[in-house]
Amino acid sequence: MSSTLRDAERRLALAIAAASAMLAEALPAALLAVGLVGGNVLAAESSTPKSIGYVMTDEHWALYETPGAKQECPKGFNLGPREQFKLLFPDPAGKRSVVETQLAREAAVWFPSTTPERFEFLEAQGPIALGVNLDGKIGPNDFTSPEGEKGIDNQLYRVIGCVRNYRREGELGIITTKWRQQESFNRLIIEITGIDSLENDDDVQVTLYRGVGDIMMNATGTEYLPGGTQRIDRRWGKRFIQTWHGSIKNGLLTTEAVDAWIPEMGAFADASQLFFHGMRFQLKLTPTKAVGFLAGYADVDVWYYALNTAWATHHQSYGQSSAPSIYRAVRRLADGYPDPKTGQNQGISSALEVTFTQVYIDHGTADPEAVLQAARK
Amino acid sequence: MLRRCSGSVLLTTVPALVAAIAAVTLSVVNVAAVTVAATAATAATPATAATELGAGAPQEEYEPVPMPPGFKVVVSEFEGPVFADEHGHTLYDWPTHQLRNGPAGELKGKPNCDDTHYTKTAGLMSPYPPGLLLPEPEKRPTCAELWPPVLAPDGAKEIGAWSIVQRKDGRSQWAYEGFALYTSALDTQEGDVNGGTKRKTHGDSPADREPVAPPPLLPPQFAIAEQTTGRLLVTRQGASVYALADERPGKLVCDANCTRDWSPVLAPALSRPQGAFTVFERLPGIRQWAFRGEPLYTRISEERTHSLEGSDVPGWHNVYTQKAPPPPADFTVQDSPGGLVLADSRGRTVYIYHCGDDALDQLACDYPDAPQAYRFAVCGGGDPARCLKTFPYVLATPGVKSTSRVWSVLAIDPRTGHLAVPGQADALHVWAFRRRPVFTCSFDQKPGDLRADGWGEFNGYRNGFKAFWLRDDFTDNAG
Repeated sequence: MSSTLRDAERRLALAIAAASAMLAEALPAALLAVGLVGGNVLAAESSTPKSIGYVMTDEHWALYETPGAKQECPKGFNLGPREQFKLLFPDPAGKRSVVETQLAREAAVWFPSTTPERFEFLEAQGPIALGVNLDGKIGPNDFTSPEGEKGIDNQLYRVIGCVRNYRREGELGIITTKWRQQESFNRLIIEITGIDSLENDDDVQVTLYRGVGDIMMNATGTEYLPGGTQRIDRRWGKRFIQTWHGSIKNGLLTTEAVDAWIPEMGAFADASQLFFHGMRFQLKLTPTKAVGFLAGYADVDVWYYALNTAWATHHQSYGQSSAPSIYRAVRRLADGYPDPKTGQNQGISSALEVTFTQVYIDHGTADPEAVLQAARK
Repeated sequence: MLRRCSGSVLLTTVPALVAAIAAVTLSVVNVAAVTVAATAATAATPATAATELGAGAPQEEYEPVPMPPGFKVVVSEFEGPVFADEHGHTLYDWPTHQLRNGPAGELKGKPNCDDTHYTKTAGLMSPYPPGLLLPEPEKRPTCAELWPPVLAPDGAKEIGAWSIVQRKDGRSQWAYEGFALYTSALDTQEGDVNGGTKRKTHGDSPADREPVAPPPLLPPQFAIAEQTTGRLLVTRQGASVYALADERPGKLVCDANCTRDWSPVLAPALSRPQGAFTVFERLPGIRQWAFRGEPLYTRISEERTHSLEGSDVPGWHNVYTQKAPPPPADFTVQDSPGGLVLADSRGRTVYIYHCGDDALDQLACDYPDAPQAYRFAVCGGGDPARCLKTFPYVLATPGVKSTSRVWSVLAIDPRTGHLAVPGQADALHVWAFRRRPVFTCSFDQKPGDLRADGWGEFNGYRNGFKAFWLRDDFTDNAG
C-alpha cells in the first residue's frame, strides 16, 4: 500500500497546487492557454461554450432495496461459499481432502459451469428496479422505476439483488466506496464540454478519463467538496478515455451508448476493470454534483472475472456471494449483445448508481513553470 | 528502444529496452554472486572493494557486522547482500506472520520447524475448514527436510546479533536477532535465494521465510525499498531518490529553476561519507548527499512512496543500490492500465504463480517439485491439459540465454507440471524466475491486458497468479 509523503516538499507542492487553483479563479484564459480547463465556470452571460468536470465519489450497483428486503427477496438471501461448503461437505474433517473440497470449489470459481447445481438461486423479485431503459423498448422482462418509468433494463439486479455482498449493507458496497476515496486506480472523471446551459442543451460532449489526484473532502472526511483538481492520466489510463455525445434536458444529462472500459478497485486495493457494451450516462447535473446512472450491458465474462480477481472467496464469504452460483444466474439472465457465432448473450443489462463531485480538470499538457510565471504576473 | 507508434507501445525485446528505460525498469547487472567475507573471519568486511563487478554494474554495500566463524556475506543477484553458511547457502528466518485465523511462523528463541510430518490443513486461512487432507500426504516432506536448521556446534559462542537457541530435540541452533536460522532445500549454489524474498509480502500470502542480511551501508536518512526492478534507494520517509544524468559534485546541472521541482537531499552538518555515499557543498554551507558520485534529489511533486514517476522526466533516473538482473531476450515490457508489466515476446503479460499450503509449517507449493494439484485447480479446473491452454508456460526460444541465475530455463513434464526426467522427449523448456516457471494467460488479448492479475485464491497471493509488475503507479504491486 502506498503512503503519502508528509514533508516540507509535500507542503510546497500543495502550495503550488493552491496557487494553481487561485489562478483557475482569476485567470481562466491564461489557464486555457497552458492547458487547464476550469470546471464550474459556466456563466449565464457568456456565449462561449463552457465545460465542467466531475470526479466520481460514490458508486453502487443499482439495486432496489426495501426494508428487510421483504419485497425483492421474499425467500431471503442466497447462500455464500461457507454455507454451500457446509452443505456439500457436512463432515469434512479427517475424511476429505483439500483436492476434493477446497480445490474443487475454487476450480468451480475459476472455471464456472452453467449446468444445474443443488442450490436454489434466489433472483430479485418484483416489478420495480432502478436503472435505465437501455434498448428504448418496453419488454416483458423489463422493470418499472420507482418513479413510474417503464422499460427499465437491469437484469443484473435479478442476479445480485438477493446477494448480501452487493446490497448497501454489503462489504462490496462499503469497501468499494472506501477504496474510491483512498486509491486512484479507479478514479473516474468526466468532462462535459460544449455546454451552453446546465439546464438545457441539445448537444454536449462527455469525455471519460481516469484522474490522478486526491478527492477533496471536508475536514472531518464526511463530505466530498467541489472545487478540487484532477489531472488526467493519459498514459496508463489511455484505454479508459472515451467520448459520448449527449444532451441536457431540464438538468438531466443523457448520452448516447458507446462501448467503454472503466477501472475498478476491489477488496484491499486489488484492481480490476469492467467493460460495458453500449455504456451511457444519465445524470442530474448541478454546478457542484452529478448524480444518476452509469448504465449499459456489462460484459458477462469480464464482469465475472473482475468480481473474482478483485474479491477472493474469503471476501465474498463475508457477503454470502457464491461465484459459481452467480455465474449460472448471470449467464441465464444475460440479455444483450449476442455472440455472432453462438447466439449466446455476452452482455447483461445493468446500472451503477453514481455520484460525481465537481472538479477542475488539469489536462496535463500544462507547463508547471508557465503556470507559476502566470501567477507571478 | 521502447518504440511508440500512434500512441501504442510496440513489442520490443528486453535487450533493446534496456538502454531506453534503464532508469525505470531494467538494466544490465552483473550476474555473479560474490563472496565478500572470509569464512574464518569474525567480522564481515564491507563490500566496497567488490562493488564494481561483472559487466560493471555495482552491487550493494553492507554494514560490517561480527559473525561467528563459518558464516559469510554473499551479495546475491536479486536480494543483495545475504548471510550464508560456509557452503554459501543463504540463511533464512521465519518470523511470525498473522494469518486469517491465527499465526504461523516462529517467535524469537522458539524454533518450531522440525520433523513433524503434517498431513492435514490447519485452518489458518478462510473460508475452508481445518482438517482437510493435504495433497500427496505420503510424499509431503517435513519442515526440517525443506528447511534444514543451521546447527551450532559444541563450543560455539554467541557474538553480536548472533545467538544460540535450543530446538525441541535438544540440539543447538544459530539465531540472528533472536530468530532461528535455516537454509533452503531450493538453494543449490552460492548466491541462490530461492527460498524466500526480502520483498514485502501481501497480508494473505503464506507465512514466508525471509533471507537474513546484514544492514545495508546507508546514512540514516536513507532506506532501501525492494522492488522487482532492484533495490531502490529512498529516503527514510519512503520518497524515491533521483539523480540527473551527467551531474557530478562541482558540475551541477540542476539550477535554481530546477530546484523548484527537485529538492536536493541535504546532509546534516555532522554527517560523514559512508561507503558510496559522499557529501559535497552545493552552496557555501549547504551540504548535499551524493551516491556513487551522483548528487541526490527527491521530486517535490511526488506524493507516492517508492515512485518511479520522476524517471519519466528527461535526464532524471531513480537510484538503485543494486538493480535486478534483466530478463532474457524472450521478454518485452508493456504499458498496462496500472504501470509497466513484463510480457512475453508477443506482448502478453507474464504472470508469477504463488502458492503456500495451509499446514502449520506453511510449505510452499509454487515450484515444480511441489504438489501441482493447487495450480491445476486454478489454471485448469483440475485438468493439466486445460492449464497448458489457459495459462501456458513462457517457452524459451532455443539459443536464447539468460544472463543471470535469477532467470533460468527449466525442463517441465507437461502432464505433471513437475521437472521432466533427463532426456524426456516431450519436455517443455520454459522460462523460470527464481526457479519458478512463469506463465501467460489466454484471456489476455492485447499487450498490457491484465485479466489474470489476482486470479486464484486470495487474489493470487496464495494459490494463484499475479502479474509480473515492473512499475505500478497505483497500488505498489512492483514492491
